[in-house]
Amino acid sequence: MTRLRIPPEAEPETSAADESTAREGFDDAERAAPAARRPAGPRLGVTGWLRWGWRTLTSMRTALVLLFLLAAGSIPGSLLPQDGTNPAGVSQYYASHPLLARILGRLSLFNVFGAPWFAAIYLLLFASLLGCVLPRTLRLAGSARQPPPKAPRHLSRLPFAVSYTTALAPETALQAAAKALSARRFRVRTGPGWVAAEKGYLREAGNLLFHIALLGCLVSIGLGGLFGYRADRLLVAGTSFSNTVTALDEFHPGRLVSPGDLQPFTVALDRFSASYVTSGPLTGQPSSFNAAIRYSATPQGPARSYTLTVNHPLVVDGVRVFLIGHGYAPVFRVTDGTGHVVFDGAVPFIPVETSGLTSEGAIKVPDANPEQLGFVGLFLPTAVDAGGRLASAFPAPLRPVVSLVSYAGNLGMSSGPPQSVYSLNTAGLRRLPIAPQPLVPGQSMKLPDGLGTLTYTGYRQWISLAITYDPGQLPALISGGAVLAGLLLSFLVRRRRVFVRARAVDGAAGQPGEPAASVVDLAGLTRSDAAGGFEDEFSGLAAEIRTLHQGRSDGPAPERAGPAPTDPHPPDGE
Amino acid sequence: MRRPSRSARRAVLGAAAAAAAALALGAAACGGGATAQDTAVGNGSSFVAGTYGTTVFQAGSRPEAPQVLGTTLAGGRFRLSADRGAVVVMNFWGSWCTPCREEAPALGALARQFSGSGVRFLGVDIRDDPASAEAFMRTYRIGYPSLNDPNDLIALDFRATAPPAGIPTTLVIDRSGRIAARVIGPVSYDGLKALITRAAGRT
Repeated sequence: MTRLRIPPEAEPETSAADESTAREGFDDAERAAPAARRPAGPRLGVTGWLRWGWRTLTSMRTALVLLFLLAAGSIPGSLLPQDGTNPAGVSQYYASHPLLARILGRLSLFNVFGAPWFAAIYLLLFASLLGCVLPRTLRLAGSARQPPPKAPRHLSRLPFAVSYTTALAPETALQAAAKALSARRFRVRTGPGWVAAEKGYLREAGNLLFHIALLGCLVSIGLGGLFGYRADRLLVAGTSFSNTVTALDEFHPGRLVSPGDLQPFTVALDRFSASYVTSGPLTGQPSSFNAAIRYSATPQGPARSYTLTVNHPLVVDGVRVFLIGHGYAPVFRVTDGTGHVVFDGAVPFIPVETSGLTSEGAIKVPDANPEQLGFVGLFLPTAVDAGGRLASAFPAPLRPVVSLVSYAGNLGMSSGPPQSVYSLNTAGLRRLPIAPQPLVPGQSMKLPDGLGTLTYTGYRQWISLAITYDPGQLPALISGGAVLAGLLLSFLVRRRRVFVRARAVDGAAGQPGEPAASVVDLAGLTRSDAAGGFEDEFSGLAAEIRTLHQGRSDGPAPERAGPAPTDPHPPDGE
Repeated sequence: MRRPSRSARRAVLGAAAAAAAALALGAAACGGGATAQDTAVGNGSSFVAGTYGTTVFQAGSRPEAPQVLGTTLAGGRFRLSADRGAVVVMNFWGSWCTPCREEAPALGALARQFSGSGVRFLGVDIRDDPASAEAFMRTYRIGYPSLNDPNDLIALDFRATAPPAGIPTTLVIDRSGRIAARVIGPVSYDGLKALITRAAGRT
């Protein structure tokens, strides 16, 4: 279990203080897991188990498993009808598979995203990621501030090393080297007889940015879940609505959203137009949708015009309003048996197919006398006779016809649960003996037994709107960008170290004619130099320091050199 | 088993982070990928019934009712502050809404019972056509006026105090123009009567 746990980053204590060779400073994480990470014996105390639990939870493996579970857990949400979005589908499922539905219902599979087990998965994932990322962030913050480590004793063991003599005294030589390294924006630390310099802290900064941004992502998602909401509304042309709960068809608030928090904008639909491909194999496919709307951000605010199209939402007060669907709403006037006009309005019909936009709907007239009336039927934008059956040949309203089946009796609306406005519960109704006949605009249908008259007066178009408010959206976008930037920085920037040691030459070692005062050892190393380049940088740097020390570049051959300092143009590190 | 190398573990972390970031971005963008035929209204009952419940505001902490201006179904102008001094029962309803029909007899009866005793009833008709609304009022012998609220602006007026969080919603406003109670869902005869009596008491 503990093997896949993320190893600690270079611990500040070890890399700063205890280094027999500088290489260890980079590689300490490769050491065997410290004893504290493994339980000492077979018996674990309460704290031991807690610690084990926390480590297991915050391990990368657990996080990945939870991420997978989260993805897998949302699958039933798309396979089964859900309470929030499709309550009618759920009741239908209960009707057709009573036993299975009861079991699935017990498992909250009809309300996956509100299920306790789903919440458990994402809360655990959240805790896991937080527990993994937070300590790393703190460690990285320490590491980014940390000074370079002491110069190792034996510089010649490092991958890049140069040694030469100079006439300068050791202290002077070291000062000159420190100055040169500082000028190259190395972070410099000096000690007796040595200079240590490090560059590429931007890598740690990138790493830090990555981790903080990852936390930012998590917080953003949380923000959206707590303070955001989603809603839907169907809007018939010529009408308007305000963003308040009573005016919405569906409302899915975040945990901390109350009805008073909704942004008080008003939207009116003046006109909707759709155009369709009229020839070729794509005939009937929509080519554009345009909804001409007026909106105001507040009840007293000025009205503005906007053209709403698919994927070009209206953004008002931070809320985005998407055009997600459209259809037809035939207008009916119903006069009952007593001569009263008991219904006069547009009834949205829901498309059941896309090639001709054949739509279904229901008209309920609960206040008709002597009996309640109900109608169900089809709206056909371009009605044609397809072998004795009515069908719609094209989605545009070229020959808009309705065909209705009429009912009378009890609509079941006097009490009980809310009904769907798009379908008729025919349990208490009897079908009237009148053949469904296609009606064209302006045409009436007289009901038998003096029950009244229905007139199809025309049609309007409707659009459906998805209203989304997610305060975490912008932070999530920024965090996502920062995650990438941090990742790139930490991949592209190398952290590299240069060490200089200078010691006085013993009198016997001095070469005649060259009054050598000190031996200078210059060494460098880098971590994860996958792209190369440090070799050149080190050569240039060594040449520069050597020139400072020896007064000229063509000094005596080095006693021992790593990569020859040939390239006088070091690549720019940062 | 060999410990995975540092870079391998780094890569795993990177992948996980990328997945998390993708998840975040995906979640952030999930409002955006809709297509034109994704109708949102497929099967729902198509209005928000709200979570039923009664909120009673104590005499000292009753929020002030907003100014309400509107046109009645009959075409007259209405101003809520003109009813200052009376208890006002405000009912948000629609003729198409089953719970509204369920509570209508109780509302009609209470309105008749309290008429002439300083209690005014007022309806706010929501998402309705005037012909259906008037037919509803005939059916349930509703004698009090109803405002036509085609833009939902009256519901919006109450957003800061006692927003109607479903249909039906009933508000009881006391003699000094402060909201004494809000009922979401159908009212019962006894329940609403008690709320009216309470609001009518001297405060």
